[in-house]
Amino acid sequence: MKTVIIGAGLGGLLAGAKLTKAGYDVEIFERLPFIGGRFTNLPYKGFKLSTGALHMIPHGSRGPLAQMLREVGAHVTIIDSNPMAVIRKSNDEIIAFHDFRNELSLTEQVKLGTVLAYSLKFKPRSDLSFRDWVLKYFDDEFLFKLADSFCGWSLSLKAKDVPAREMLEIIDNMYLYKGSGIPLGGCSAVTDALSGIIRSNGGRIHTQSYVERIIIDNDVATGVIVGKKTIDADIVISDIGHFETSRLYECMDLEYLNKISNVKPSKGIKICLSSDEPLIGHSGVFFTPYAQRINGINEVTNADPSLAPPGKHLVMSHQAIITDDLEAEINLGLLDIAQLFPGKKYEALLIQSYSNGWPVNRASSGSDNGNRTPVENLYIVGDGAKGKGGIEVEGVALGVRNAMAQIGVS
Amino acid sequence: MKVSKECVGCGQCAAYCAFDAIIIFGRAAMNENCTGCGECVKYCPISAIMEII
Repeated sequence: MKTVIIGAGLGGLLAGAKLTKAGYDVEIFERLPFIGGRFTNLPYKGFKLSTGALHMIPHGSRGPLAQMLREVGAHVTIIDSNPMAVIRKSNDEIIAFHDFRNELSLTEQVKLGTVLAYSLKFKPRSDLSFRDWVLKYFDDEFLFKLADSFCGWSLSLKAKDVPAREMLEIIDNMYLYKGSGIPLGGCSAVTDALSGIIRSNGGRIHTQSYVERIIIDNDVATGVIVGKKTIDADIVISDIGHFETSRLYECMDLEYLNKISNVKPSKGIKICLSSDEPLIGHSGVFFTPYAQRINGINEVTNADPSLAPPGKHLVMSHQAIITDDLEAEINLGLLDIAQLFPGKKYEALLIQSYSNGWPVNRASSGSDNGNRTPVENLYIVGDGAKGKGGIEVEGVALGVRNAMAQIGVS
Repeated sequence: MKVSKECVGCGQCAAYCAFDAIIIFGRAAMNENCTGCGECVKYCPISAIMEII
């Protein structure tokens, strides 16, 4: 079976690795000069920055992505973070993430346990936001701020913009898979290992190759056009999201078009810092619920010093973008960092923002539209078709698993 | 080089610029180091950089 994959981002590469392993003939077309999309390293002034995602795997060595890497034989060392995460309180005190309950009154602690157990079993109605779900049971500023900090860090959204259902799926997955880890060598360790597997299984990956059209015959995808050349295919998989994919063929399904054009991408800002001394001291997430904009920070060099030049630390902050004034948002982020680390010497290396055509997630969490399209044999993978309850790249892996099940590959 | 309003400020072009000629702050802007070599164009994921002819 010949399969063409559009885009060599994490979703395209995971799909390519799964399919070549199952004996499919796979050809991947990537428009950029490098593979990995928003999950690879970006060399900058001796540092290994990242094109998009932070150098982090949300559920570490036990999560869906790590599991899929093992299935396809991609060797990536994932260093699970210990502590998994900490929270910086309003009085600057730092507590372990799991101790957040201790900040609540005894009554609230008991209530939280009951409400969580109930809501995980009986998921709330689909139009209830996570913020409103918290508000329904609690009146606690710390919990609201923590919810925003967590949603901002992991999904680039405010808690009011995340469906409570999706967040409860995420909490379920946190109990199941536990906390985060750092891929040794950074994001590119994952995407390079996958491309190695694809090539050793006989698959081909072309960079600087732009797919101009998807060829459709009687509502069935039959190939693509790349550089005026027709490539026939039995299956076409697109890693560029539903909307961008729909522009590569004449889509006549108005209901589908309406649904996919209403999907809002999530947007965020990553500030990359260089520091001579550690600002955090471990590789777990440093949640900052009381900062104005920054949701969380990590210092990956505590797990992998090779991500910075000798003697330097690489620190990355993340914040959801709240207003339309991007420059003001960045300045608030820089101000937060100055206030979080008073007296520390650090330098802002690069400030990267993501929105619109190159967002954090093509479909913000909870708004994904599955892998299917109105066209037979045309599937969507990647951050525009994440699986339920999957944070970032974990969602990409879960989405690829769903797509593979539909194609008939286990 | 001309940067269109589609630019989101991801910084990919700046990292691959051999002349340290691109400043990123919410979007990309070329400084006086820019030689117009056009290398950045192919690194932009959304084709937001164009050569001025």
